[in-house]
Amino acid sequence: MTTEMRDAAQAADTAEGDLVLDTSNVTLRFGGLTSLDSVALRMRRGEILAVIGPNGAGKTSLFNSLTGAYVPQEGTITYRPKAGGGHELRGQKPHRVSRLGVARTFQNIRLFGALTVLENVKIAVETRQRTDALSIMLGLPGARRDERESDRKAHEVLAYVGLENRINELASSLSYGEQRRLEIARALATAPEVLLLDEPAAGTNPTEKRDLELLIRRINSELSVSVLLIEHDMRLVMAVADRVVVLNFGKKIAEGTPAEVQRDPAVIEAYLGASAEEDAAAVSEMVDAQAAADLPAPRTPEDPGPAPETTGTDGTGETDGSKEDGS
Amino acid sequence: MTTDTSVRAPLSAAARLRHRKWYQQPRWKRLFAMVALAVVLTQAIGVQGVRGDIFFALQENFTGVRLWVCLAIAVTIWAVREFGADVMARYSAALRVETDRPVERPADVPPAEGLSPRTAHVWLPATVARSVKLATARFRQNATYRWTALGALLAFLVLLPLMVSTLWQQVLVDQIGMYVLVAIGLNVVIGWAGMLDLGFIAFFAIGAYSAAFWTGGLPVEPPVELNNFLVIPVAVVTCLIAGVLLGAPTLRLRGDYLAIVTLGFHEIVYLVARNWSDFTGGTRGAPNLDRFSIDLGFWSYQWRLDPAPYYWLQLVFIVVIVVLFLRLEHSRVGRAWTAIREDEVAAAATGVNTVRFKLLAFAIGASTSGVAGVVYAGKQGFINPEQFMVMMSVLALSYVVFGGMGSLAGVILGTAILVWLPEFLRDIVAPEDRFLYLGGLLVVMMIYRPQGLLPSRRRQRELRMAEEGSGGADALGAQPGGVRG
Ligand SMILES: Nc1ncnc2c1ncn2[C@@H]1O[C@H](COP(=O)(O)OP(=O)(O)OP(=O)(O)O)[C@@H](O)[C@H]1O
Ligand SMILES: [Mg+2]
Repeated sequence: MTTEMRDAAQAADTAEGDLVLDTSNVTLRFGGLTSLDSVALRMRRGEILAVIGPNGAGKTSLFNSLTGAYVPQEGTITYRPKAGGGHELRGQKPHRVSRLGVARTFQNIRLFGALTVLENVKIAVETRQRTDALSIMLGLPGARRDERESDRKAHEVLAYVGLENRINELASSLSYGEQRRLEIARALATAPEVLLLDEPAAGTNPTEKRDLELLIRRINSELSVSVLLIEHDMRLVMAVADRVVVLNFGKKIAEGTPAEVQRDPAVIEAYLGASAEEDAAAVSEMVDAQAAADLPAPRTPEDPGPAPETTGTDGTGETDGSKEDGS
Repeated sequence: MTTDTSVRAPLSAAARLRHRKWYQQPRWKRLFAMVALAVVLTQAIGVQGVRGDIFFALQENFTGVRLWVCLAIAVTIWAVREFGADVMARYSAALRVETDRPVERPADVPPAEGLSPRTAHVWLPATVARSVKLATARFRQNATYRWTALGALLAFLVLLPLMVSTLWQQVLVDQIGMYVLVAIGLNVVIGWAGMLDLGFIAFFAIGAYSAAFWTGGLPVEPPVELNNFLVIPVAVVTCLIAGVLLGAPTLRLRGDYLAIVTLGFHEIVYLVARNWSDFTGGTRGAPNLDRFSIDLGFWSYQWRLDPAPYYWLQLVFIVVIVVLFLRLEHSRVGRAWTAIREDEVAAAATGVNTVRFKLLAFAIGASTSGVAGVVYAGKQGFINPEQFMVMMSVLALSYVVFGGMGSLAGVILGTAILVWLPEFLRDIVAPEDRFLYLGGLLVVMMIYRPQGLLPSRRRQRELRMAEEGSGGADALGAQPGGVRG
């Protein structure tokens, strides 16, 4: 309700003029597959905009197109920073996009695993510095100052996301939830105006989800960063998003407040029709049931089951491992 | 029922893929390695072949009792290691627990149960291990200790040529010192930026020919004739430009392609040196080059035939470059290189200008190689194209990998050892066979210690992570063996 009111207020005073991202007609094809089909996305400055859709809908492709990882065949992507002016992001190099103020996280976490938490963030801070290799090698005062500065900023950002106690751990040794937060910290360290979060809640536990919700809100309100959020967890989407855009088969099929979108028949159709979620849920249920049946299997005489040599020699440990991979 | 089997069948198939045949198990692989080692050892310490009849040596060595002794020793070592493993594992676990015991109890207090023969064999070594650990920790923290050790090492290196014969002094300068300089440069490209460069010696050649040109040793006259020391900055800039010219169009290529491009570049440089006779002197090269000399008016010094002064000169260059590079490694540049090496996509998305940093690594590496080239030319007094063969690039690469990519100490030590080894073997095995043993050592090293002699911590972690990842569902990390089996 509050989000709706806020959204309404925002919509009133920033009707059309204050779009931070404005994409029109973005089309991305991979051979015969159209992964984005004339997508028009308008993101207002300072809002939290969620992008939802079934698996394979093109959400990550949209992020990749916005950040220069993919170059869409058609369309324009206009980014308007606070400082004024407009930048065309389509076909920009990823590091240029980052420098302009659009930062992102990855769906499949991509941290620098062999580096420490602090170093991961420092790398991001330091992309904004200009010290050259020669002054670093000679240990000039400017280089030292920059080093201290990046250290300080990285500490600051890590404290902001609540990782101040893990600073010297290896990034790869963190828990899933912490790794997701570190990705956010790394993105924040580039001082972005727009933050793209690709399924930040995937694989995290309920407590971490609540913390994440809070963090996203704080980033949005305290740092006045516009947030574009891909998320499958509807509860989180409903809780934080001002508006929601729904993609299906690369097309935008709905747009509006979370409540509106939830009622939209096209959206319900998309989720039930594609039923990707259902399939996944059904498969995992099936596998669980199978695993449950698997353990007492030798003791149930009425269950003929598969021939013992197919499972017997390999042991249950292997079976479990493969199941995790598949789900 | 139908769902049951349809789910189960692929699982067991996957499990079957993971199952290894008995001879694929590490234990038997190790036996095989030990037996191979014994055979090699038999040949190495036995009679050496002569050019006319290598079978004579083989017959001598492999029919006698020596082979059986070697084999027996190898198999015994293997058996003890494999079947004593349980005992050893339990023992080392106990040792670890004892070593990592909380520090509330001082190290020298025996365990609470009292010191008996049953506990002493754990307690004593653990105490030693803990003291060593404490000492190294203190060493890490305490700057005075560190500087003392560093000073001692430096003093040893300075005095080294005085302790060896002239022959070994030559080896120190012409081979070890030279290759160490090259390897330090190559380490920037391969170890830090993670780019496979197979043509690194091309820049070395460019440095050497720059020295020849600017000191007036080539058929064409330079605009001004320079002292060898003044050539160094000129050569650095030349190699920098050459590195950027080669790198700018090619650094977008992925690893393997870049390797081929650099290999081609080396071949081009070599052929130019050979065939552009008007400029480079062709196959004859530049026979009479100036040696190093300093003339400050009030004081002058001329390097001559004695190798030791060249060694000290090289040492100065190496120390200066190492200091500069250490700063670089732990700076934003070094971190950006690591980021690019680990995940180029993530690095770019974070704002790292990947192409620029790769180019920087390429240029820095190239100019280091150029310095090495000038030093080489100034020492040898003559150069010709045959001194810059592709083989040398390959050797330099193997030195870096052997020492431990990304670790300066490792690269220096690894290079020194690998260059020293064939020279050392000269008196022990047939001279033609020396590189055979070098190759064998490299093979064994890459199988059992792929991270190198003194690996960098970052690199070691990356390797370990890659190994752990190979068990997962990630197709890129899957081991080809698993698919085949
Ligand atoms: N590099 C690529 N090459 C070929 N096809 C691709 C590539 N990237 C994405 N696709 C295809 O584009 C479509 C959209 O994929 P995308 O990853 O954007 O989906 P998504 O909405 O993020 O799904 P999920 O919820 O599973 O993350 C999929 O059919 C996918 O196979
Ligand atoms: Mg996705």
